[in-house]
Order: sequence, then C-alpha cells, then structure tokens
Amino acid sequence: MLINTPIEDAIIGKLKVYDKLEITGAIFTGRDAALPRLVKLIESGKLAELGINLQGSVIFHTAVSPAGIGPTSSNKLDIESSIPALSKAGVKIHVGKGSLSPSTVEALRVNNSVFAVNPPVTALLTSTIRSRKVVAFPEEGMEAMHLLQVENFPVIVAIAHGESIF
Amino acid sequence: MNYMEEVVSRTAETLVKASTTFRPDQLEAYREAVKKEKNPNSVWVLESILENASVAEKTRFPLCDDTGIPHIFLEIGDEAFLPPGFLCAVEEGVARGLRELPGRPMAVKGNDAERISQSAGLYEDSGALAMAPVQVRRIPGSEIRLTVLMYGGGPEIRGKTLRVFHKHSVDVVIEEMIGWGREGAKLLGCQPCILAFGIGRSNVEAASLALEAMARGDFSRQSEIEKRVTDGVNETGIGALGLGGATTVLGTFVKVGPQRASGVRVVSLRTGCCFDPRRATTTFKFE
Repeated sequence: MLINTPIEDAIIGKLKVYDKLEITGAIFTGRDAALPRLVKLIESGKLAELGINLQGSVIFHTAVSPAGIGPTSSNKLDIESSIPALSKAGVKIHVGKGSLSPSTVEALRVNNSVFAVNPPVTALLTSTIRSRKVVAFPEEGMEAMHLLQVENFPVIVAIAHGESIF
Repeated sequence: MNYMEEVVSRTAETLVKASTTFRPDQLEAYREAVKKEKNPNSVWVLESILENASVAEKTRFPLCDDTGIPHIFLEIGDEAFLPPGFLCAVEEGVARGLRELPGRPMAVKGNDAERISQSAGLYEDSGALAMAPVQVRRIPGSEIRLTVLMYGGGPEIRGKTLRVFHKHSVDVVIEEMIGWGREGAKLLGCQPCILAFGIGRSNVEAASLALEAMARGDFSRQSEIEKRVTDGVNETGIGALGLGGATTVLGTFVKVGPQRASGVRVVSLRTGCCFDPRRATTTFKFE
C-alpha cells in the first residue's frame, strides 16, 4: 500500500498488522537522545517554536549520519517511553524494530497510531532519501532530530489497533 | 611502502571489507534460508538482506548504519616477528578505515561522568571511535592474522555473561543456552540472529571465547552443539524481524574453552544481529 505524509486518521484506521507499506513524503527521525527531549517540548508547549508539526506524521527511530539510516531498537527505554506522548501529539506511524510492551500497544490503540518495522538494510533504506535537514537538537550530532524527504520507504505494520505480531 | 604504512592501509581496507561485504558461507546460509522459509514476510526480509548485501558491496556502503565498535582478534604465529609499533599502526588503520567507510560518528566526548551520561556531545570524526581492547591468540607458523570484527549495539542489549550450574550434564548447559537464545531473539528486532557463545572459567575468559567464536565461526561447518542451539531457538517461530517463520536463528557459533573442576561453567552470549559476524581477515608476514 502506498502512503503519503501527512497521514489522515481514516487511513490509519484501515491498517492491519502485516500490511506492507511504502511511505512517500516527509518523515521525522529521532532516537534515544532526541525523543525524550521532544516529549519535554510537547509537555512545555514549546514545540511550535521549532516549527515542528507532528499531526499526521511519521517518526523513524534512527540516527542520520554519513553511514546512512537504519532502524534502532525501539524497545530501548528512552524510545519506547516516548511513544505514548508522541502518539497523543499526532504521530501516526512509529517506525523501528523489536517488540513493544502491552502498555505501549494500548497507548498506540488509544491514539489511533501504529508501529511498523523494517529490516536494518541501510544500503537500501538510504537510497529512498531525497533530502535531509536537521530540525531540532543539532548538538546531539547523529542523534539530532532530522526531517527526511523519502520516496517509497518500505515498512511492515507490526502493531495496530491493539493487535501485535510479537 | 614501509611496514607501518602497510599495516595501517591493510587494517583500514580490512575494516571496510568487514563492514560492507558478506562472506561466501554467509551468503550461502541466507540463500538456503530463503529456500527453506515458508513464511512470505520472512522471505521478504531475508531477500532484502541479500539485496542489501549486494548493493553494499557494489557501492562500498555500510551494510548497517550502526557501523559498530571495532574489535580486533589477533593471531600471532609462534615464529612470527612482531615489528615495533605494530598495534599503534593497527589503531591508526582502524581510525582510517572508519573515516573511509564512513563509520557512524558516535564516539562520546568528555570525562568519565560526561561519557556515561552523554552530556558533552559527540565527536564529528568517525575515526574518533576507539577500538576495543585487542584479543590475542598464538598459532603455529610465522604469520600474523588480523581479524577486524564490527560489533553493532543492538546485540549488546540482548547478550549476557553468567554462571550456569551444569549438574555434570552438557544437556543442562545446552538447554540454558537455548533459553538465553530464545529470550534474546524475542526482543532483538533484527532477526535472524547469529548466536555466539563462549564457555569458560571466568567472565572475561567466556566473553573472550565468544569473540573467538565470532572470529572463527563458519555457517557451513556447524558442530552438533551449534546445530542443537540453532534448532532449539528456531522452534520458537519468531522468524525474521519477528514476523514469524522458521528462520529466527541463521547459525550459532560456540567456542568451548578449558574448564575447571567445579559445578559451575561461565557462559557468555552475544545475540548477534542479521549481519553478524561483520568480519574480515588479513595476514602479515614480516622478515
């Protein structure tokens, strides 16, 4: 299924686990260092100052560096604990790898968001990038939050509407 | 070319090769897994990994963006001459290789407390990533074999080193290894796993033996213990990327070291990712 960002709630409502998607458009990146800071910005009401709009967005759990992109383990504490707040703030698809806890599955369900995974095939995933820029936390280096323009970025839905493949 | 420059350039070249290519036994293991796998989603993952390897080798691009921590396994011939400054040149070669790759710039700045909390930022230089302490073995002959292994971070979350009470039965230890493999594989995220075990007398010895298993293991030559562990974890049906199927583990490498008179064995596991072992070897002979 082809998906363009930003994503409407109705499209998320139709997704099922094991659906293969190809995402085209803008996606955010963030991992251990950036995501907890992003959540703090949301909680303090300062997100808009950075010009970041999370409504209908995709966040890919990855670093961005000259070595390319690839999913990191989403069940690391800093990353998984950010998923409920980011879903509430409008993130529709969280992309990473690894199983998530029942409480995260429930938080995704409540917010009509899904979790998708992709293989860590850096040479292939990096070839989907059309442009990249840092949008927050540049001092975090490769862990800074980036906005990538991607074309046909492949993922498979792993958690949707209370159902998990794990 | 003087010998120092030769060590630097060949170490760098070996690091890049380890990071961008699959070996023939690794490729064959994946091709066999594709043939045997019945779950179409797992087949998609396995074929993606093969395609990724092909593109990475052609373009000399990293197999994985977590380009890993360089680990050196050094085998020194009993009759080999080790020139002065050899390890210094290896360190320089690792740094050069990381810059050429390019490796992910992930070395953490600062004093002890700052490095632990990652509060002083990161180096922009890929080559600032220090290699792990070198592991050394002696071999017959007059050559020096240098193996570069690149250790990604995900497997480090799922590995462990711990005592096992063997009850004077190898089956007890193997069942424990299968249990650890299942536990790690469930959470890893980049299956199929490659399990590497060392079994020794101390924590440091067991971890060193696990690295030796990674450095010397071959997917086409699996021992009875290795096959049992692989089959035992594959019974879970976790599959590639956790999508279900027969290929949770692609292969297992085990190195059993000397043991001591005791009811305890120390077992070390690296729950390796789908690209493990990212390794390549070069050989030196100095007159």
